[in-house]
Amino acid sequence: MSYLSSDKAEAELAQSIKKATSPDETAPKQKHIRRCIVYTWDHHSSALIWSGLKVQPILADEVQTFKALIMVHKILKDGHPVVLKDGLRETAWIETCSRSVAGDGSRGYGSLIRNYVELLLHKLNYHRQHPEFNGTFEYEEYISLKNIDDPNEGYETISDLMSLQDRIDSFQKRVFAHFRPSSNNECRIAALVPLVEESYGIYKFITSMLRAMHRRTDAVDALSELRARYNSQHYALLRFYYECSNLRYLTSLISVPKLPQDPPSLIDSDTPSLP
Amino acid sequence: MSGKGVLRSVKNYAKGYSDIQIKVREATSNDSWGPSGTLMNEIANATHNPQDFLEIMDMIDKRLNDKGKNWRHVFKALTVLDYCLHVGSENVVLYAKENAYVVKTLREFQHIDDGGRDVGGNVRQKAKDISSLLMDDARLKEERSSRTQMRDRMAGVDNI
Repeated sequence: MSYLSSDKAEAELAQSIKKATSPDETAPKQKHIRRCIVYTWDHHSSALIWSGLKVQPILADEVQTFKALIMVHKILKDGHPVVLKDGLRETAWIETCSRSVAGDGSRGYGSLIRNYVELLLHKLNYHRQHPEFNGTFEYEEYISLKNIDDPNEGYETISDLMSLQDRIDSFQKRVFAHFRPSSNNECRIAALVPLVEESYGIYKFITSMLRAMHRRTDAVDALSELRARYNSQHYALLRFYYECSNLRYLTSLISVPKLPQDPPSLIDSDTPSLP
Repeated sequence: MSGKGVLRSVKNYAKGYSDIQIKVREATSNDSWGPSGTLMNEIANATHNPQDFLEIMDMIDKRLNDKGKNWRHVFKALTVLDYCLHVGSENVVLYAKENAYVVKTLREFQHIDDGGRDVGGNVRQKAKDISSLLMDDARLKEERSSRTQMRDRMAGVDNI
């Protein structure tokens, strides 16, 4: 879909990367991130984005590092599937981000950066082991079918996915804990946006997949551990989304999903499907 | 014709746009009223012609990737795309699916105008609607066929 010559597209991409990771303590602008995401689809490559990130003096400034991580998260999530593959090759660079700030840093992003790096590496590792998923964990019928045929593999997939969900939950708690009364916290809130979307994608996937497994296997007992974990994650998400819905800046950007008060039944197939 | 309208026709001439591209540009202009039904209908009909189809999609693509200040371009390009998805040729559907990311990434479109009003909401909502339509093959098929039926009925009335 690109109508620009490749030189011009590259120049624009470099500009977008620079602007998305500017030193101002604000949210990285979506228009710049969008341009990067669209680039990965147009050119089926993300190599230039990674090299663009490396030539920016990002590691010298904690805000810039944090914004770069938000950007990395978003392109992994919404970009062309090739970004995930490229991302797996760039784990060393992502790791260096966590070593760039000593302690909590002068503006308090130190531990956020380290936790974000951990989360991203965990996510990438998940995709390494389960390459059939896309970045957003959109529910795709064939995956759930594939895994019910092999219940053991399905069990693994779900339990790994739940670990990722737990990581997201602990990271979002840390983001909330680092809000500062003296600032509008936009830069920190911006990190919550992909977290809300990703956690909801995972939640939807786990729900449909657990339901499918309950329909297919007779061993309801064998799945009891997953059910218990599912229920506790449901309440954690409910709390997370409730807290997000009070952030006016965040609700102006995305609509925060509304979960029912109690976890939906996984065994009874009459329960309404998720929105 | 207002000042902006004059400027647009000069640009149309200077950049050598084709007739159909001029129509798309008019339908997705920065004027504060929506594109007219007749105009969208003409555009949708033209998507059956392969040459026009490419020109239309190219122009819609440009408008979709416009900057925040021109949020009306983006919004109206989504409106036209939505219309063409419903009554345009099958190629529009194929093309839109292949390039779904362009619409999907608009779901987080932001723009605050000079008066401090958030005008991105319209774009976000429309982008959400279209992306969910694109992901739901059954619904898209049904909506397309019901539009065709309605058209046939209307055409029948016309003939009497």
